[in-house]
Amino acid sequence: MLKANETTFEIPRPPPHMRRNRALMLAGVALLVALFVLALVTMQLPTWARFMTGLERNFAPLMRGLVRPNTEVFNLAWTSMVTTFFMAVVGTTLGALLAFPLSFFAAGNLLGGTRWAMPGKALLVAVRTFPELVLAIIFVAAAGPGATAGIMAMGIHSIGYLGKVFSDVVEGIDQGPMEAIRASGGNQLHTFLFAVVPQVLPEFASHVLYRLEINLRAATILGMVGAGGIGLPLIQRLQFRRWDEVSMFLLVIVGFIIVVDAISSRIRSRLV
Amino acid sequence: MPEPAELPRPPAASRLKTTATLVFVVALLVLSLRQTNFNLEALITGTSDFFRFFGRMAPDWTALPQIWPKLLETIQIAYVATVVGTLIATPLIFLASRNTSTDPITMRVARTLLTVLRSVPDLLWAALFVAVLGLGGLPGVVALTFFSIGVLAKLGSETVESIDPGPLEALRAVGAGRNRTIIFAVVPQVAATMVSYILYVFEINVRASVVIGLVGAGGIGQLLNNYLSWFDYTGAGALIAVIFVIVLAIDGFSVWARSKLI
Repeated sequence: MLKANETTFEIPRPPPHMRRNRALMLAGVALLVALFVLALVTMQLPTWARFMTGLERNFAPLMRGLVRPNTEVFNLAWTSMVTTFFMAVVGTTLGALLAFPLSFFAAGNLLGGTRWAMPGKALLVAVRTFPELVLAIIFVAAAGPGATAGIMAMGIHSIGYLGKVFSDVVEGIDQGPMEAIRASGGNQLHTFLFAVVPQVLPEFASHVLYRLEINLRAATILGMVGAGGIGLPLIQRLQFRRWDEVSMFLLVIVGFIIVVDAISSRIRSRLV
Repeated sequence: MPEPAELPRPPAASRLKTTATLVFVVALLVLSLRQTNFNLEALITGTSDFFRFFGRMAPDWTALPQIWPKLLETIQIAYVATVVGTLIATPLIFLASRNTSTDPITMRVARTLLTVLRSVPDLLWAALFVAVLGLGGLPGVVALTFFSIGVLAKLGSETVESIDPGPLEALRAVGAGRNRTIIFAVVPQVAATMVSYILYVFEINVRASVVIGLVGAGGIGQLLNNYLSWFDYTGAGALIAVIFVIVLAIDGFSVWARSKLI
C-alpha cells in the first residue's frame, strides 16, 4: 500500500521494438500451447477410467515391491551388471579405435581446408543418426541375440559421436608445434606423430571416458531387444510384474551407474 | 651428418604413472573381451552378417501409408513429454540451485532426486511404465517426461548457478521475496539458454521416442518391432529410412534454432 507522501516513479514503457518482440513471443507461446492441446487430443490416449483401473491394479503392488527389494536376486543382478559393464568397455573401445583414424579425415586443419573434411563429417553425421537400439535390433535379426550384437551396435554408434568430438579437438589444436616440426625438416608423419597426437591424446581420453558413461547406460537397456546384458533378465521380471525383483535390479543398475559416473568424472577432471 | 641431440626422458614418476595406467586399461580390456566372448572373428562375421542383412532391407515404399500415423505419434509423444517435463522441471531447477534454493536440506534432496532420475535410461523408464500402464503412447509420454525432468533440471540448475549475482543481490537488498527475485533477477538471465536446452531435450526425446516403441511404449518403434517379427524386411527398410530422415531433420532444426538463440 502506498502512503500519500511517498513518491513513486512511473516505470517507462518498453520501446516499440521490445513491445513487438514481446507480442511475437506471446504468439509463439500461444502456438506451442495450441500444438500441445492438439497433440493431446489427437493422440490415442486411454480413457481416464481405464488409466485409473490400470493404476489401481498395479500401483500398490509396484510400491510395495519397490520398497522391498528382493535380496535373493542380488547375485544375478550384480553379475549381469558386471557383464553389462564389460560390454560397454568393449563397445566403447571398438568405437574409439574406429573413430580415431576417421576423425583425422573430418578435421579441416589437417586436410588443408574445410572442403576436404566435408565427406568425413557427413559420414559421421550419418552414422550418428542411426539410434543405437535400431542398430542393435538389426544386429540381433542379422546375427542372432547376444552380447556381440550389443557391442557392435554400441561400437558403431559411438564412432559417430567420438569421431565428431575427436575432429573438433583436432581442429582446435595449436598450430605452433606442427610448424616447428615442419620447419626443422620433419615430414607429414613426423608432424602427425609428434605435434598432433600428443596435443589431442588427453582430450581424446576424456571423451572416451564420457562415452563409456553413456554406453554403460545404453548397455543396460540393449538386452531388452536381445542384445546382451542386464536388460534381458530385467525386462522378463518387468513383464511378469515381479516388482520386488525389479526393485533389486534397479538398485544395482542405478548404484553402479552413479559410482562409475563419479569415478569417470573425477578422472576426466584431472585429464583436461 | 651430425648425431641428433638426445631428447631428455620424462621423470621416472611420470613414466611409472603412464605405464600403470596403460597396464590397467589393457588388463580391463582383456578381461572384458574374455567375459563377453567378443573377438576378431565375431567382429568380422557380425559385420558381414549385418551388411548381408542390410542388403535384404531395400525399402518398400508402399509401407509408407502405414508408417506416417506412427511417425506422427512418435513426434506427439516427444512433444507432450517435453512440455510436461519442462513444467515439472522448472520449480525443481530453482530448488536444486545453490543460489536460489530455500535451504540446504531441500537442495540436497532435490539434487539426489535428479541424480537418480538421470541415472535411469530412457528405455528402462519406458519398460517400467509399460508394465504399470499397459501398451500404448501413454507410458511413452510418462517415461519420457521423467527422463526429460532429469536432463533438463541438471542443465538448468548449472545455468542458474552460473548467473551474475548482482541483480539477485539488488532485488534482495530492496526487500523482494524469493519468487520476485527469481522472476526478475534469475529468469531474464537464463531464459535464452533454457529455451535452447528445452530444444535440446526435445531433440533427445524425438530420438528416444523412436526406440521406446521397441518395448511397447507406442510410436514408430513398435511398428519396427512388428515388421521384424513378421520378417517384412523391406517394410523395415522403409521405416528405418524414415527414422533416418526425421532424426536428421529434427537435429538440423534444433541446431539452427539454437544458433539463433545464443
